[in-house]
Amino acid sequence: MLSEILIIAIRGIAIGSIFATIAMSFNIVHGATNIFNFAQGNMFILGGFAAYFFANQTGLPWWLTMMLVSSLGIAAIVAFQGYLTLLPLRSSVEQDSWLISTVSVSVIIGALLMITQGPFAYSVSAMLPPFQLFGTRTPGAYGLAIVLMLFWFVALRLFLRKTFLGLAISALSQDFDAARAAGLPVRRLQLIAFAISGLMVGSVGFLVAPVISVNPDAGLRYVLNGFVASVVGGIGSYAGTLIGGPLVGVTAMLTAYKIGGAYQDLASLLLLVGILMLRPQGLFGRVTARRV
Amino acid sequence: MAVVEKHAAMTASGVSGRKAGRFNSDLPQVWIGIALIALTGFGPSLLGNEYWIHTFQLVNIYIGVAIFQNFLFVDAGQKSFGQGALLGMSAYGAAIVYGLNGWPLAAAAVFGIGAAMVGGLLFALPALRVQGFHLGFVTMSAAIVFPQLLVTLDKWTNGINGINVKIPFLTQERAFGLSLIGLAIAIFPMLALVTHYAIRRSRLGRSMFVAALSPEAARALGIRPGVMRFIAFLIAAVGTGVAGLLYLPAVVFVSPQGFNIEMSFIFFFAVVVGGRGQMLGPVVGIWIVYILPNILLAQFIEYRLLAYGCLTLLAVMIFPDGIVGSLERLRARRRSTGGGEKAFRIDNFLADLDRRSLTSRPQDEVIVEVIGGTKKFGEVVAIDSVNLKVRKGEVHGLIGANGSGKTSLLNVLTGLSRLTKGSFKINGIDATTMAADRISTMGLGRTFQTPRIFPQMSLWDNLRIGLDARTENPSAEVAALAARLEEAVGEDSAALLSHGQRRLVEVMRTVLKEASIVLLDEPAAGLSQSERQHFAELVRFLSRKMGKTVIVVEHDLDLVWNIADTITVLEQGKVVASGAPVAVAKDPAVQHMFVGARHA
Repeated sequence: MLSEILIIAIRGIAIGSIFATIAMSFNIVHGATNIFNFAQGNMFILGGFAAYFFANQTGLPWWLTMMLVSSLGIAAIVAFQGYLTLLPLRSSVEQDSWLISTVSVSVIIGALLMITQGPFAYSVSAMLPPFQLFGTRTPGAYGLAIVLMLFWFVALRLFLRKTFLGLAISALSQDFDAARAAGLPVRRLQLIAFAISGLMVGSVGFLVAPVISVNPDAGLRYVLNGFVASVVGGIGSYAGTLIGGPLVGVTAMLTAYKIGGAYQDLASLLLLVGILMLRPQGLFGRVTARRV
Repeated sequence: MAVVEKHAAMTASGVSGRKAGRFNSDLPQVWIGIALIALTGFGPSLLGNEYWIHTFQLVNIYIGVAIFQNFLFVDAGQKSFGQGALLGMSAYGAAIVYGLNGWPLAAAAVFGIGAAMVGGLLFALPALRVQGFHLGFVTMSAAIVFPQLLVTLDKWTNGINGINVKIPFLTQERAFGLSLIGLAIAIFPMLALVTHYAIRRSRLGRSMFVAALSPEAARALGIRPGVMRFIAFLIAAVGTGVAGLLYLPAVVFVSPQGFNIEMSFIFFFAVVVGGRGQMLGPVVGIWIVYILPNILLAQFIEYRLLAYGCLTLLAVMIFPDGIVGSLERLRARRRSTGGGEKAFRIDNFLADLDRRSLTSRPQDEVIVEVIGGTKKFGEVVAIDSVNLKVRKGEVHGLIGANGSGKTSLLNVLTGLSRLTKGSFKINGIDATTMAADRISTMGLGRTFQTPRIFPQMSLWDNLRIGLDARTENPSAEVAALAARLEEAVGEDSAALLSHGQRRLVEVMRTVLKEASIVLLDEPAAGLSQSERQHFAELVRFLSRKMGKTVIVVEHDLDLVWNIADTITVLEQGKVVASGAPVAVAKDPAVQHMFVGARHA
């Protein structure tokens, strides 16, 4: 009984770490642009497909090389997507076209994967060996997912606080107009934020591919769960995602175990609606001053 | 329509040779839309081709759903990716009750619409608290979960096998190749279009639109944006529910795959491609997004989703107004180059009120009182234990440097933000914890630093939302004023108004609202010298002729000293001086303010 709870907790936290990383990748783009990239889930799945096509059952050096190459490739794709998304915002009075363009990019990627790969789930062989935890074999990628979440959390924190580039991006999220007035190259910084978010989901998608379902439909589920993690933790809060992600992951695992796997997405949806109703700023979000 | 004609007559004989066109083409678009829907609704039946009958029945149902999506998208400003799921909920609700359990059709109809409304509630409840992309994720998530549940709950839904429902009574041919359901399906999108138009022209529709465009402005007008979003989601759910009821007998089969997220995307993309907010948009959008890939390119059916995505991305990048919207813009441009927009002048309209002999004076009664008010944003103290008394009928100037807490105080008084400590009363009633809309209905009106003028609405509608904000009938004078405004600017656009004129429109809005207390946030900023002069007279008019209490936050000290009966000086959130202008000017605590300002 106790070991069951532990297994649910570990797997839930591991899956939740993936959601948390997606939520962090939302944060960096949202901070710099006020845009929520609906295509982020499909970018993540692209990482999984990259692992399947370029690094399935290969040796470690090749695997690592391909991980770097495909992460950078996905970063470039997301940066290009960001460029397209920001283009109409330059002149238009109406500033919510991003919602339409990111959703349509998400649909385009999903459709392209569907056309070329079919509606099948691809399994990717594990690079890391499984490890023993509380008497059960746990796939190595689960451990890796947690490590990656912590890695990206620390990396982003250092980047945003210690480097000039990171500080400039943080400045965007605090006061857009002031940043522009101070002469920061706003558009370029925004594209860098997009690229970083692509690098994050691309690398994580590649590395955890053995434990996720790599299929053209999966992207939407990851983007939604990533968003729920972001809302639970409080939008914009990096520390919040460390709690929000695992919370969503454990909820999903618990639902799968107690009620049935088919109800996982329903549980996430109800969690999202519940949080939005009761505490829309999230568990760790702050109510900020309103500008009128 | 009488108004338009009268207006046309007036300008033709008077001001210039400008041909007065409509502000927008909503009404003609409704008529064209009805004609097009009639074509797809009745045409195939007359020709008697089964394939086309079936296909265009589906097209018409989709047009109906897209019309409600359009309403939700633009009039209420909410992006939903879950309308297809609502359609499915209704169709499935009816199929389960009628097809699996053999209940009567009427029960199936009630159950179907009820199911769609429950789904709508799932969207509408969070809408009370949040908006925008949050709801995008909620609706998208629901669209993903819905077909999953249909499969899982197979005990009730027949799972992956779906439900076959034949209702011969409805599908039997009656006359001209038309069945009862065929008739209903032809008429439904027409009714949807008329409903959308009627809502848009109503007070509810305008309130929704303002809430979508500027929640602060809406709240200052007594509108609760959350409630507006809630109502909009429910209206769309009911409309989509009706579509679901028609879907069932027309398609005779429901299955989980039929209501996957792809279907929801069709409606969303159709609205974008057709033209967001245009009455005709959903009709054209469904024609392009649905008919093009499904009928003309039927052999490339697997590329359908890709085509939707690319079309929509292209639309956002290249023609963001959509097809109908781009045409409408051409029309509007032709119209506005005809003679230019008239300037909006307020004087003539106020002349009637001016003739009143009434000259009001500031009274001793205190109408707004702040007691020990403190407002903190985190560590920053914006207002620091402020005590303030505003007498009824006076012009009260609030001055101070940037960041001294003037606008924060104004936001507290209008309920847009809440005091951390202390309290305030309006008309003797404690309003410390009241929501902005409640305070607004107590007779408060305000303007904003950047005027909240909406170019998407006609000039008259921009004014009219002030009239809408009233809780009781307008006085005879204001009613007459409104009638004259409507006649003069009924179809004018607000897009080309100068900054100064926008201010006047905002002030006029509070006049129409008959707000007894008017708060002006930096009204003179961005006005020319003569406009300032003019504005000063207007403020005096509001106070002396109309008996309003005016609280004005302003940097232009000359202006304030000219018009104010009382001046309160704020410095770093604290009141440093307060009293009659003459007395305050001599106060040593504020002397330094003049040195710079007078010579600036």
